[in-house]
Amino acid sequence: MANLQKIYSDIDFTFTKKPVTADVALSYDEQAVIRSVRNLLSTKNFERPFNPDLGSNMDALLFENISTATSISIQKEIETVIQNYEPRATLQKVIVSPYTDKNAYNVTLSFYIENATLPTTVTLLLERNR
Amino acid sequence: MAGANSNFQMTDLDFNNIKTSLKTYLQSQDTLKDYNYEGSALSTLLDILAYNTQYNAYYLNMIGNEMFLDTALQRNSVVSQAKLLNYIPKSAIAPSAIIDLKVNQVTDASLTLPKFTTFISEAIDGVNYNFVTSDSITVNVVNNTATFNNVTLRQGISSSIAYTVDSVANPKYVFQIPDAGVDTTTLVVSVQTSSSNNYSTVYTEASNYLTLSSDSAVYFLQEGIGGLYEIYFGDNILGKQLSDGNIVRLSYVVTNGTSAAGANSFVLMESVNGYSNTTIYPIAAATTGAAKESIDSIKFHAPKSYSAQKRAVTKEDYITAIQQNNLGFSFDAVNVWGGQENSTPVYGQVFVSVKPSGAYTLTTTQKQRLIQEVIRPISVLTVEPTIVDPDYTYLQITANVLYDTKRTNLTSSQIQLAVQSAISTLATRNLNTFNSTFSATDFSTAISNVNPSIITNEISIKLQKKIYPNLTGPQTYNLYYGAPLKRGQFASGVSSSPALSFADKNNAANIITGVYIEEVPSSTGGVDSISISNPGFGYTLPPTIQILGDGTGATAEAVVVNGAITKINVLTAGSGYTNAIAVITPATGTTTGVLGAATVILEGRYGTLRTYYYNTQSVKTILNPNIGTIDYTLGVITLNSLSPTAVDNPLGQFVVAANPTTTIISSSYNRIITVDPFDSGAIVVNVTAKT
Repeated sequence: MANLQKIYSDIDFTFTKKPVTADVALSYDEQAVIRSVRNLLSTKNFERPFNPDLGSNMDALLFENISTATSISIQKEIETVIQNYEPRATLQKVIVSPYTDKNAYNVTLSFYIENATLPTTVTLLLERNR
Repeated sequence: MAGANSNFQMTDLDFNNIKTSLKTYLQSQDTLKDYNYEGSALSTLLDILAYNTQYNAYYLNMIGNEMFLDTALQRNSVVSQAKLLNYIPKSAIAPSAIIDLKVNQVTDASLTLPKFTTFISEAIDGVNYNFVTSDSITVNVVNNTATFNNVTLRQGISSSIAYTVDSVANPKYVFQIPDAGVDTTTLVVSVQTSSSNNYSTVYTEASNYLTLSSDSAVYFLQEGIGGLYEIYFGDNILGKQLSDGNIVRLSYVVTNGTSAAGANSFVLMESVNGYSNTTIYPIAAATTGAAKESIDSIKFHAPKSYSAQKRAVTKEDYITAIQQNNLGFSFDAVNVWGGQENSTPVYGQVFVSVKPSGAYTLTTTQKQRLIQEVIRPISVLTVEPTIVDPDYTYLQITANVLYDTKRTNLTSSQIQLAVQSAISTLATRNLNTFNSTFSATDFSTAISNVNPSIITNEISIKLQKKIYPNLTGPQTYNLYYGAPLKRGQFASGVSSSPALSFADKNNAANIITGVYIEEVPSSTGGVDSISISNPGFGYTLPPTIQILGDGTGATAEAVVVNGAITKINVLTAGSGYTNAIAVITPATGTTTGVLGAATVILEGRYGTLRTYYYNTQSVKTILNPNIGTIDYTLGVITLNSLSPTAVDNPLGQFVVAANPTTTIISSSYNRIITVDPFDSGAIVVNVTAKT
């Protein structure tokens, strides 16, 4: 009963199926939290019905001029959204660095998940796409 | 849903509650645990599910609302529900005015004033309104003049439309009236056989379905989905069916609603059969008319109309039928009562009093039409309807207001205007209808609320009756004030204005002008009170009080404190006394008590009115010492055989004012208490500043 040892379990947003059972694939623990953080960052404010505060203003910030000031804003935005909506992740560090050649930002998130001894580090490339 | 043992609120429409319930359900499994974290994919799915559930629940709730007359919000739904109750929402009603029209220099033997002849009114709020005749009238020409009396003009423009019947394109034979402002009481529907056959039949609106046959030339009226009226025709069972090729012609008046109310001066916009030398005499100013019936009004009237079942039996039946009349009359208020309720009971009659919108009374013709066309067809055979004019009692309100100048930056005249407007607003809201009550306290409260700087105020009222005396011969007038009246003299008693003129009894050619009516306090009646002139001493028990005089029935009792008479209460006033004394006898069994004495004060239930004037030497002279009586208790003033030769008022209006003993005045039956909006002296506000 390996599943019982899992603390967190969520549906995988890719909706891939498990090869053996043909059931919907699930993501567990660290993976589930990382998925959740990515989901929060890609949700815009006012996007969810009846929960306008959920998500972040990232979309607008990515369309600002690329600069250190904007990267600080993005960093604050990421910190706020995780602190507010992802209680499982205790933030350790957020590094946002402009990637001027691609008009994008490199984001490195480092956080502790409950019961984990080592921090989880996620690297994202935030790029405006429309 | 939810776990087997959990409570699940199926009726929840709230998004958060639905989502919570979904989460509760997920607690019973451990495959997916992240439902509580907002960022999880599971939470997103729950949001979608909850949103969808809530959306459907809301939509169903709205559908449910629209299915009932009480809760429906959309006009379409309300109209459709009302249709089940056989209720057709009232269209706008065109204001109607009455004129006499004279056409001069006519050489024909008779002249016809065609239907929809156009007139234009004077400007009202800067707009001249079109009026049209509602019927065609033909009169004989006398001395080259054609006189059209009592011509009814309806505000609006005439409009007409024709439809060719095509059972393929319009299988239900429904024809729309494309104008939103149509007054359906003016609608005339005629059906021409075909474009090649000019034979035409006028169809009437179906009213009583029991009498319809396959040959009945009737149409049915309804309000359509878009709010426009539609007519449709029978199916050869209930009413005659149309055939392909028939031409349906609708003609009607499209009105601007209530905005032309009060128009009283008209100009003919076209010639009458080629004659344009005309004179117009206004008879009655345009009534208010009515706007298209509102949703609230439909909700209110439809069930009542249904319960009346097109029969006038109860009071409410009459009121509904009269309000719903299809004659184009609109009423501010309707009251109905049985004749047995009258002070002199009249059995087998029902009395109806109506206050027309924008007018004081109905004309004789309008009353006849209301009885014959609206009430008679639906009332019980043995009950005779009678229309009585409303009896208006006008209030003259005087308000004394004390205000603190330090608590406002309004000037005293601004305070005065604000108080005046508050009184006027409250009077409009509470009065001017049947079965209303004037209470001075309500007005006092309203004045206090006008401005915080108002420290206190007092209200006094006078009741006025306005009559138009007959100047050609003597006539008796009974004026019902509807409240007990105060006895008084000069300003505190009954007064009249303006001055009347009378012919001198001794010399009819001599006209006495400047005659007024005043009150002569009368002393015929019962005992009003007994005042103690000497309390006496030594009374161990209250002594017996005996009232001796030329009247009968008065009794009284004494109140004794410490051996002295402190008060004598009148138990019954008795009647017919012109003089009386009080005899005080010590109570039976005691002989003590001496010297008590009291004086009887007599009341007069009836007072007398006299006429007076100031002669050429400015000496007050009584013209007629007994022109009428006042019944103080019932509040009735009777003017006997009043025969003035002139009234010093351009309209011939004569006002008799009296003071009521109470400041709570209620109206019933055909009485209406009102504040005359055209009388600038009806509301007087005296403002005093406290500095």
